[in-house]
Amino acid sequence: MTPPEHEIGRPGGLFQRPQPELALRSSRELISSDLPGITASSSSSFARTRKSLSISESRPALTAAPSSISKSRSPSNLRSQSHERSSIGSGGSSPSTSKIDSNDAYKQIIVRSFAPRVAVFASSDTEEFVRRKGFQDGLYSLLRPYGERLHSKVVIRDSVGGSRGWDDFGIRFMDSQKLQKHSAHRASGDIVGKDARNLFNGSQRISEHSRSSYSNETGTSIDNLLDHYLRTAGAASQDQGKHYFDFEGTPYEQRPELSPSYPAYLRKLLSSASIVPYETFSHPVACLIAVSSRHPAPIEALRQLYSNTGNRSKNIPAWMGTEYLRYYVLIHDEENDDITKSIALFDLMKRHFGLHCHLLRLRRSQCVPTDDDSTKVPSCEWLSAEEEIGKLCMRDYTSEVELAEKYILESDSSAIKSLLREMVTQSIVPFMESRVMIWNDQIASRRRGIGGRFMSLSKRWTGFGSAKSTKTGLIGVSNPSGSNYDYQQGFYPPETPEATMRQLGDYAFMLRDWKLAYSTYDFLRADFGHDKAWSYHAAANEMAAITSLLIPQVFSSKSRSESPDQMLDNAAYSYLTRCSMTFNVNRCLTIAIELLKNRGPNAADDAARWGGKLLELGVLTPSAQALITERVAECYMSRTRAYLAVARTRTRQAALWNVLASDSWLRLDGVDQARARLREASAFYGLDNQDSAGLPFPSMQGLWQRLTVALRDAGGDDYAALIDTSVDEEDFELNSTEEREQLNAVTRPSITSSTDAEGFTNQDAGHTRSASLDDQELQSDGFE
Amino acid sequence: MSYYFCIVGTRDQPLFELEFGTSKQGGDGVARFTQEARHMNPFVVHSSLDFVDELQWTNNQMYLKRIDQFASSHISTFITPTSTRFMLLHLPHPPNTTPTSQPMPNSFPPFTPYTSVPPSSSTASRGTSSSGSTSIPNNPTSPQTEEAIRQFFGEVFEVWMKAIMNPFTSTEGKIGSPVFRQRVVAAGRKYL
Repeated sequence: MTPPEHEIGRPGGLFQRPQPELALRSSRELISSDLPGITASSSSSFARTRKSLSISESRPALTAAPSSISKSRSPSNLRSQSHERSSIGSGGSSPSTSKIDSNDAYKQIIVRSFAPRVAVFASSDTEEFVRRKGFQDGLYSLLRPYGERLHSKVVIRDSVGGSRGWDDFGIRFMDSQKLQKHSAHRASGDIVGKDARNLFNGSQRISEHSRSSYSNETGTSIDNLLDHYLRTAGAASQDQGKHYFDFEGTPYEQRPELSPSYPAYLRKLLSSASIVPYETFSHPVACLIAVSSRHPAPIEALRQLYSNTGNRSKNIPAWMGTEYLRYYVLIHDEENDDITKSIALFDLMKRHFGLHCHLLRLRRSQCVPTDDDSTKVPSCEWLSAEEEIGKLCMRDYTSEVELAEKYILESDSSAIKSLLREMVTQSIVPFMESRVMIWNDQIASRRRGIGGRFMSLSKRWTGFGSAKSTKTGLIGVSNPSGSNYDYQQGFYPPETPEATMRQLGDYAFMLRDWKLAYSTYDFLRADFGHDKAWSYHAAANEMAAITSLLIPQVFSSKSRSESPDQMLDNAAYSYLTRCSMTFNVNRCLTIAIELLKNRGPNAADDAARWGGKLLELGVLTPSAQALITERVAECYMSRTRAYLAVARTRTRQAALWNVLASDSWLRLDGVDQARARLREASAFYGLDNQDSAGLPFPSMQGLWQRLTVALRDAGGDDYAALIDTSVDEEDFELNSTEEREQLNAVTRPSITSSTDAEGFTNQDAGHTRSASLDDQELQSDGFE
Repeated sequence: MSYYFCIVGTRDQPLFELEFGTSKQGGDGVARFTQEARHMNPFVVHSSLDFVDELQWTNNQMYLKRIDQFASSHISTFITPTSTRFMLLHLPHPPNTTPTSQPMPNSFPPFTPYTSVPPSSSTASRGTSSSGSTSIPNNPTSPQTEEAIRQFFGEVFEVWMKAIMNPFTSTEGKIGSPVFRQRVVAAGRKYL
């Protein structure tokens, strides 16, 4: 095998390093040395020896293939992007103008996951109506799948007046019950907090404790789900002709994603965030108020529902702003009601409630797949982990009939789609745009200016001019720093400038105006830090880092790469040490890894570094750990391509992380993944057929053989294909039998246990040999 | 602190390997790697060669200082004019005790922190660590440790030069001389 061209000039071979600064010792010292076998007698002969040595070494360095990629770039580029697309499954380019890149798939997932939420408040007769159609969870479950993908371009104007169309804009419907549950949860937390009032911010700690327990629950439910995916993915991939792990010889640029469960994991991670005070992505941007035409007094019902969404209603947690859009929907029953009456009612609604109204015409009857114009309801892409688990459990316990996918009539489907299109393009997006503009003018720019900075300074140091909220006044403990932060309950009341600015940042983010969002978060994170509102501080740092990574690269790479690091560091530290919110740390760093990786080879190094840090934090569940290890390997592998300068490749790092990933998968019994990773690793170490004798360090063989043997024992149909026939199987067997016995003794395959350092015994043998100045050594080492 | 020292030739082959422990603060000079760590060490050292290859073109010092970190292990490097790499992996833990894996839930061995250092931001740890322990065995990032490793490398470099002066050895061959080994062990005892 001839080495590829770019490896010839590998550093460490022929080329001398620039300017060694350590001067050679004087000849006297050398002569006086008592080392055996030194024949140099003067400084000149020393210099000669050095010279001849470096010359004699230069030739082998040129001709021998260094231990790096000797993976043959064979012409099987056939398995190309089609797999990549299918494994992501989300499709669709994010900005319609930009070209599709394989890496962009993850960026798209991230961007799409931060979508505006719409809470659904429906009257009881509406719920009844929808239930009759076969949707047991009410109106929101009917609308939800359609909201995730709008199938139309949404044009958004940003703060500087430019407008841009997005194909993949979506909204998420949420049940109003969810909000109520949260406000109840909140209230119980307050009661606990009152007991702990002697502590300075006791209730904050307690509420954060409950939050962190929530986040741990989320972590485990994601993990359960992952396990399910891994199990089913194995079966699915067998059906599809094992395309997930059969990628030998595929060039790195076009390799299909290795773990099909990673995109799914990312989605679950992003969609499982709970409703919290310190970020407003999960707060509703709008609420949809629905009545049906059957209702005897529809206008009154709407008013009643409106008051439920209102300011001091019990249904809304105290930290949630209520200045969201209300959108009114009248559902007309096509089969039983008179359309003229409904239209008259709709006109009345418009007169009462303004323009944000819609008449939705649906048919009452339940649809079955055999109907003429039936159409399948699309499946939800953005179910949170708990919901998905619930669904899977349902699937296990319920009968076949209920399990079947839901169908509705074509006319109903198109009516819902047009409702959503109209609602998003004519109400929600303009509403958010105007909010962003107003807040930006009235609050953000006022605080950003010199006067604002002075005000916040004077407030901070003198306690002068602080606009204390009523809540703080009631409890009667003044804030020492004069900030708006409510230390007793651990949140900023929604009417304070800080809370509003956070909302401004989130709205700008959801409208994909990264620059405005970044400047807002960047401003906020200092404020939150001064107020010691750590959860807010962490969240603002997180989002500032994410937005700064989303802004297209226009500045020099150096100045850009500094600050996200700092912000991520702050975010991770605040989340983990101050608030112990493990779920958020995980989410934050996982997003950062993906976005950094997306920014090209230089940032991929940073991505890998953050991946390593995330693993060391110990917040990941085992499956997540395996996936992240794999991602780190991917990051380094993206730096092994030929166009990089040879000195800057990360071949050896990629090899290491592939071995680690293989090990992690093996612990999880993910044999196929482990095998695939080990195969990658052996390519990077330049091994033929995973023969451990070719490893660069002899002491590596212990772990390597353990992995190969464990994989062999795990079996599988395609293992025969894995081991090439050219390997001397018998020899391998002999080498590893005793290790095999050791391995079998350990029930759970803990790969790296119970062995001695073979490398050292190896080396000792070599040492006795060459101490006696072996002839063989003489011949072999360049005295031709 | 436990050390794994390795001299790596220009073709990434190990020429010399040695494990030893700290001798400062009453340490007995015995390496106390766990089995997992012992098996990972060559992998980790090999993988950090990537960083050495990149750094050697931007840094004209022979001592490249701490170049990499993997879990709790740190790697320092010295590079000779002939591009032979001296790699020293150091794992901090209290002397004369076997590093115990902290009961981090769900963490697999390579990523399990060995000492009970709470996770902290790099900025915060920079502040506290300098005021706290500056001793070599405990703090791999302190200037004292850096200096000690520099002295160690300097001495090893000297001994190594003498060893390869032997006309019957090559810079790319394994160094098997017992005297060399002895000298390296002595240097380790003296400085680390």
